Amino acid sequence: MSILAYNGAAIIAMKGKDCVAIAADRRFGVQAQTVSMDFDKVFEMGPHLFVGLPGLATDVQTISQRLKFRLNLYELRENRRIKPQTFMSMVSNLLYERRFGPYFVEPVIAGLDSKTNQPYIASMDLIGCPMITDDFVVSGTCSEQMYGMCESLWEPDLSPDDLFETISQALMNAFDRDALSGWGGVVYIIEKDKVTKKLLKTRMD
Amino acid sequence: MTERYSFSLTTFSPSGKLVQIEYALAAVGAGAPSVGIKATNGVVLATEKKQKSVLYDEHSIHKVEPITKNIGIVYSGMGPDYRVLSRRARKLAEQYKRVYNEQIPTAQLVQRVAAVMQEFTQSGGVRPFGVSLLMAGWDEDEGKPYLYQCDPSGAYFAWKATAMGKNHVNGKTFLEKRYSESLELEDAVHTAILALKESFEGQMTEDNIEIGICNATGFRRLEPSEVKDYLASVS
Amino acid sequence: MALASVCGFDFKAGKSKLSLGFGEGFGGPSAVDALAASQSFTVPQGIDISQNLARFTDEKSDVKIHFDHGTTTLAFKFKDGVIVAVDSRATAGPYIASQTVKKVIEINPYLLGTMAGGAADCSFWERVLAQQCRVYELRNKTRISVAAASKLLANIVYDYKGMGLSMGTMIVGWDKRGPGLYYVDSDGERLDGSVFSVGSGSVYAYGVLDSGYKWDLAVDEAYDLGKRAIYHATHRDAYSGGVVNLYHMRETGWIKVSQTDVQELHFKYKAEKK
Repeated sequence: MSILAYNGAAIIAMKGKDCVAIAADRRFGVQAQTVSMDFDKVFEMGPHLFVGLPGLATDVQTISQRLKFRLNLYELRENRRIKPQTFMSMVSNLLYERRFGPYFVEPVIAGLDSKTNQPYIASMDLIGCPMITDDFVVSGTCSEQMYGMCESLWEPDLSPDDLFETISQALMNAFDRDALSGWGGVVYIIEKDKVTKKLLKTRMD
Repeated sequence: MTERYSFSLTTFSPSGKLVQIEYALAAVGAGAPSVGIKATNGVVLATEKKQKSVLYDEHSIHKVEPITKNIGIVYSGMGPDYRVLSRRARKLAEQYKRVYNEQIPTAQLVQRVAAVMQEFTQSGGVRPFGVSLLMAGWDEDEGKPYLYQCDPSGAYFAWKATAMGKNHVNGKTFLEKRYSESLELEDAVHTAILALKESFEGQMTEDNIEIGICNATGFRRLEPSEVKDYLASVS
Repeated sequence: MALASVCGFDFKAGKSKLSLGFGEGFGGPSAVDALAASQSFTVPQGIDISQNLARFTDEKSDVKIHFDHGTTTLAFKFKDGVIVAVDSRATAGPYIASQTVKKVIEINPYLLGTMAGGAADCSFWERVLAQQCRVYELRNKTRISVAAASKLLANIVYDYKGMGLSMGTMIVGWDKRGPGLYYVDSDGERLDGSVFSVGSGSVYAYGVLDSGYKWDLAVDEAYDLGKRAIYHATHRDAYSGGVVNLYHMRETGWIKVSQTDVQELHFKYKAEKK
């Protein structure tokens, strides 16, 4: 069994028209045993910048803290907000520093550019190889299911409300076919002047 | 008396000074003059490059150097020390680019080069740099020009216009009179040449001054032919 | 040739080794009994079946035939009969292959079997059991006892011990002795008891079952206990889920009491807690 699937997770990020969304499940489990259903896997890195960290739970928390540390130093040193692209490079670097003893997380990044408000999404493997797309990115123990859902539900230029509906349905129907993720969901819709957090009521088995 | 307290550069004198740093500044003050002027749409760096003999090949060695696509520097003081710093500056800029996949902002490069210069005032077995730097940059993000000066102590300043090296007091007085907030790059080049001229001994030619300009298209050193054209329009 | 070598067949020893035997050739175990229950299996001859199969079922094997192990099933006796409750999830690794599996096998109107472990093994051998029970009934003009039925199954799987069968089943019925409940597994174990739970979610089910179980449970209470135990198992165990199928074995035979989505139960129980 892969260490990446030890705790279980499902995370999706999607682009819409002038908005982005990132959604995750809430399970923290140890293999088959579901331990808690309010586990955070999506972390706020700025007013319009979020990172989702599926993978080994201990590394999820370590990485989120080390990223926040590096980000705070960057923003203090440069006296400006980081751009999503720059943040992506920062994450990629952090991961590649452990090329020969990696952290077991495969991050997903979603944000709006701090200046231009351009939507940005990206995902990465556990040693930091980036993948930047124009539609959606997925990561977690049910990536096949999530790809299937996203491929069939996503369309260009979704409004924030439609984007919420799309990403929620994609996430829920994907992890309902995965034993290791689910048990509740959380969705962040990121718009220019508003970030909305919504909890999803899902199957609890 | 002073000598007794200058056995180590990391030792303060009773008056609270690090005299080695003051000596370094003296070396800068005795060096060839350089000026920098920030315009609305760019920055100009200019420096005197007089050779001791007519036998020198003037165009094989440069005082104005590009560091990144958007940043260039010039110095007053000791040439060999300058090469160490330009090399470090380029390395720092590339390191930044490797981590963030983004051009280093001018302010960041200045800060990091200044940190190197400071380190050489506090480390054992080294001496301070005998140079002051002028660093000109264009930041793509804000679309704004920047001009900084970096001293041997590690202190740095942002200028609208400044002069360093021999006769820098005269140069600054001249710039104070001629500077205007609405200056454009073309005029700034003229002003920079005139500022150098204030203290220039002998005939100024395209062979004994060097000019670098920085704007939205990046930083570049002017060709001697371009310098010649500017000189013609100034006189 | 490549496939044969992956499967572990050795051609060097002589070509006749791989003749596939049918019926009488029956490689390993002796025929089950005169009832011809086992039918016949095609087996490679001259090869140790248990060792050969291990190549595929072994965790570390490159060629993987993974049986479905995730399940929660339970059964308990009480004053008004036996309650049987099961989940309905089938998984292949972390993938949920189905949420609507029937894990209670209706052997005949007086016998039920539950399914845990290999789905194919359970359903096949419990059908064989059904056939044998019917033949017994015809020959003896009386219904087979639960003890006998469960022992038939235990004997069959014992014959195949070490050959990779995977079953954890409960045989539930009603006979002259009253309600009957036996646990039979593919190791050949057979136990008589009043409370059993089998599968990856059984630990959670036992927790609920043990704290709520009494012999004198009213019928409604017993139904609720069965559902609750399965619900809590599906909630905590990743490999259990779907719906709760609830059966009640009575003197007059079994009835199917209900089929309830665990999601319904989740919100019902949540509301009760407030």
